[in-house]
Amino acid sequence: MIWRIAKKEFLLNVMTFKFAVATVACVVLTAVFTPILAKDYEQRLRTYRDNVARNEAELQRVKVYMNIVPTIYRPPSVLSVFSEGLEKRISDSVTIEVDQVPELRAAATHGNPYQSIFPVFDISLVSRIVISVLALLVAYDAISGERERGTLKLMLSNTTRRHQVLLAKLLAGLLVLVIPITMVFIVVLILLLSFPMVDLARPEWARIGLMYFASLIFVSAMYNVGLLLSCLTRKSAIALVLGLFLWILFAAVVPNGSVYLAAQMRPLEPREEIDGRMMSLKHEYDAELNKSKPPQSDGGSQSGARDAFGRGYDRLLDKTAMEYRQKSYRVEYPLKIRYADKYSEVERRYLDSLWEQKNLADSISRISPIPLYGSVMSTLAGTDLAAFRHFMKRVRTHRAEIVEYIRSETEDFSSPLLFTRCTQEEMAEYEEMLKKFIMLMKQAKSQAEIAALAETIKEWVEKRMTETPSLDLQDCPRFASMTGDLGELRQTIPAFSLLLFINLTFFALSFAAFMTYDVR
Amino acid sequence: MIRQIINKEVLEDILSLRFLLSLLLTVSLFAASGVMFASSYAAQLKDYSEKTNENLAALREQSGKLYQLAFYKQKVYKKPRLLTCCAEGFEKSLPNCVRFDAFTSDLPEVQNEGNFSVPHFSDIDWVFITSLILSFVALVFTYDSICGEREQGTLRLMLAGTIPRHEVLLGKYCAAMCTLGIPLCIGLLISLIIVVSSKDVAVSPGEWLKTLTIVFLSFLYLSIFVLLGLFVSSRTAHSANSMVILLLVWVGLVILMPSFGRIVSDVFSQSPTQVDLRRKLDEASKRISDNADTFGENATSVSSDVNSPINNPPAHAKYGTAMMNARNQVIEEHHRKMLAQVFTGRSFTCFSPVVTYRRASEAIAGSGLSHCVSLRQQIRQYQDDLKEYIRNEDAKDPNSLHLIFPEESCARNWRTISHRPVAFGAVPKFQEREARLGESMQLAIWDIGLLAVFNVVFFAMAFVSFLRYDVR
Repeated sequence: MIWRIAKKEFLLNVMTFKFAVATVACVVLTAVFTPILAKDYEQRLRTYRDNVARNEAELQRVKVYMNIVPTIYRPPSVLSVFSEGLEKRISDSVTIEVDQVPELRAAATHGNPYQSIFPVFDISLVSRIVISVLALLVAYDAISGERERGTLKLMLSNTTRRHQVLLAKLLAGLLVLVIPITMVFIVVLILLLSFPMVDLARPEWARIGLMYFASLIFVSAMYNVGLLLSCLTRKSAIALVLGLFLWILFAAVVPNGSVYLAAQMRPLEPREEIDGRMMSLKHEYDAELNKSKPPQSDGGSQSGARDAFGRGYDRLLDKTAMEYRQKSYRVEYPLKIRYADKYSEVERRYLDSLWEQKNLADSISRISPIPLYGSVMSTLAGTDLAAFRHFMKRVRTHRAEIVEYIRSETEDFSSPLLFTRCTQEEMAEYEEMLKKFIMLMKQAKSQAEIAALAETIKEWVEKRMTETPSLDLQDCPRFASMTGDLGELRQTIPAFSLLLFINLTFFALSFAAFMTYDVR
Repeated sequence: MIRQIINKEVLEDILSLRFLLSLLLTVSLFAASGVMFASSYAAQLKDYSEKTNENLAALREQSGKLYQLAFYKQKVYKKPRLLTCCAEGFEKSLPNCVRFDAFTSDLPEVQNEGNFSVPHFSDIDWVFITSLILSFVALVFTYDSICGEREQGTLRLMLAGTIPRHEVLLGKYCAAMCTLGIPLCIGLLISLIIVVSSKDVAVSPGEWLKTLTIVFLSFLYLSIFVLLGLFVSSRTAHSANSMVILLLVWVGLVILMPSFGRIVSDVFSQSPTQVDLRRKLDEASKRISDNADTFGENATSVSSDVNSPINNPPAHAKYGTAMMNARNQVIEEHHRKMLAQVFTGRSFTCFSPVVTYRRASEAIAGSGLSHCVSLRQQIRQYQDDLKEYIRNEDAKDPNSLHLIFPEESCARNWRTISHRPVAFGAVPKFQEREARLGESMQLAIWDIGLLAVFNVVFFAMAFVSFLRYDVR
């Protein structure tokens, strides 16, 4: 019996005007915007690949260990087409440095800051807005509409049980709503796969599957909300008005208000105070460094050369400079590493307060299924905060590896390879030459002679500069790009269960309401 | 007769559930927006005055030597505007701080962005409530105004009398505007009372006028949706269908359209990056330094002794000025491109009345993008004033070389600009000025026109469809 009612309901609904318009709107929107979003993804992927290649090339050219400062780039997520999340709001590159622990940063300095006046558009917006409205529109007259037409009376005067009717209505509504969702996903996938650079691996398929599932549960939650209103009211027009007001609360007021409330309940410390604390730590560092560093000795000559990553290093040094540097770096590097942890502690505490605020905003907005669904989608797409924090954690591990690598290769930062490639012989020769030059100057020989010597020295130095081989960094740890880790999807379980809970509650409530519904 | 129709319609509407719901929703939102604004505005003002004083104190220290005034990098923040309670315009996520000296100004930066991990929403301001909630309420009031009466059969009765159709339509339109006006006006009043009664707020006559203009704009905007509702209602036979169409149109116009802006702006122009800017700056510098000879002999040499024969101060001044101009031009170009990109996105989405309405109210309130643009203009003006002042003061010092160009080391070592102390009171100070109503109207006039055009078009469409409506 259930099946027969459901079939009838399904056919009635599918042939309605609202269904046709909403489905066509969804399909057209996805068909128009998926290629644009996919192109944008391709562009970002290209930039990412270029950057990674450039970074690797630079790494091959590094001459001294101190200049191993690679930049780690975050690969763009293909699923950001579905849900953009924070993808463009968080900086996509971090530089690995000894004196800084990498942390998440806003991307405001890149690109165009004025663009923040535009809201984000992604495919989940279509299901979040258009399909959720459709769900309400399908549901609002499910019961009260039949009462108005008088068919409910007829139906229930037979042997059909009330729960059968309600279950059939639920089934029919879901079947109807599955169609636009499925079409949206199919259109997106077809269009996405037609782009040569888009490559969906197995974990991504799993995520897309879960997204599809999440969309179904979400839409069914919205349908159940509508069904409850329909069971509570006697006129379908009233159910519709109530439903739409509820929808606007869910879609516009709750997400906006939750952010505001969270900001009021957990105010942030002003950034200036954090910066001030950082500054005082830096002063502390300078003071400590001055205390433990060997006193600057007089004299000492060096010739600098260019290195990879836009840095420089001292290619040739005389003995004084060499010894001074060796001694000072030996104390400076451990100090830098220690202070990097201290800076990061301050920064981390600030960031933690940001995350707390964000989590609070999220929890407040959970009273509405629409933002809840949005957060599930961004988690599934790997564009939510947790994904970026996870990435950052791996970058931090990578930094620790690099620092450890430099430490072990340079014998606790005491080897000259840390800052120079000057060998003992070169050092002696360099010193000899400089001495000779100074002698010559003192003896006040002719200008021509001095110039000739200067020329020889210059040639000798330049030869060393250009002929220095790069370090062999074969065993230097490389950052492995994200593996398809599905473990983090466990975080979506609470949100999923909450969505299911909303479904069940509203269905139970409509059940209770329908049992006592006056069909006259 | 019109009055009777209006009377009946308004009474009917006011007694309905939807009116109660919309009244509750809008009034509570307006009240919330007033409270939220009043609390944040006081904090913003305090913050702003602290930062401005800091900047002035630092500037005062520089007034010991005239040349230092020219080279001191001032840091100016956007002044919080009172009218952001009407139209906030994403002030919080837009760049809010500019550093500049007398010669160049950097690109505007976003300072104290707040929490970057939560989505940037516009504050719940008047524009938000009107554009999102009330426009929706307008549709809820009008979706069944024609076809609903047809379904009940009352339309037939009414038109069987001597009432001409246009009077019915006008009556319905006026009635819907009246019923909408009630929650809007009550809400606005409550919000205004909360804002005005909080301390730190002083409303100038100009601001009252601007507020009135924004209220007028809101009515103009809502009237579009009322007419849209009437139009669709008189095109359909069943009120359910009319609701569906209106809802989808509303979702398209109000929610989806504005978010196309970013996509459009990305598609039509690549956003200029910092890397591009740096490359272009380098190119410009290189171009000038390669042609250094054209400025005179030894134009580039800067040995610390001014009398040394290898120096040529006037030529170097020309060289420095040319370099500054070239670099400024690049920065300006970059900034212009960024703005142009956003403006393109906005212009493409102005088919949606929300975008038009928001843009117009921001222009009137002096917030949002128009605030950024006007701040930059005012800074440029101020830079000219400051330079003029320095030139005049410098002219009084016989020891100076009277070469005003942007190189601090030269000013220090060569005395190209006077080293005399100046009276700080006479130094021009940057003070952000709010645009007068006339000026902001000029910015908003196109959008107001566009809103009026929307009104006329929808009215004509509603009128024609109703004249041909089959009342059976």
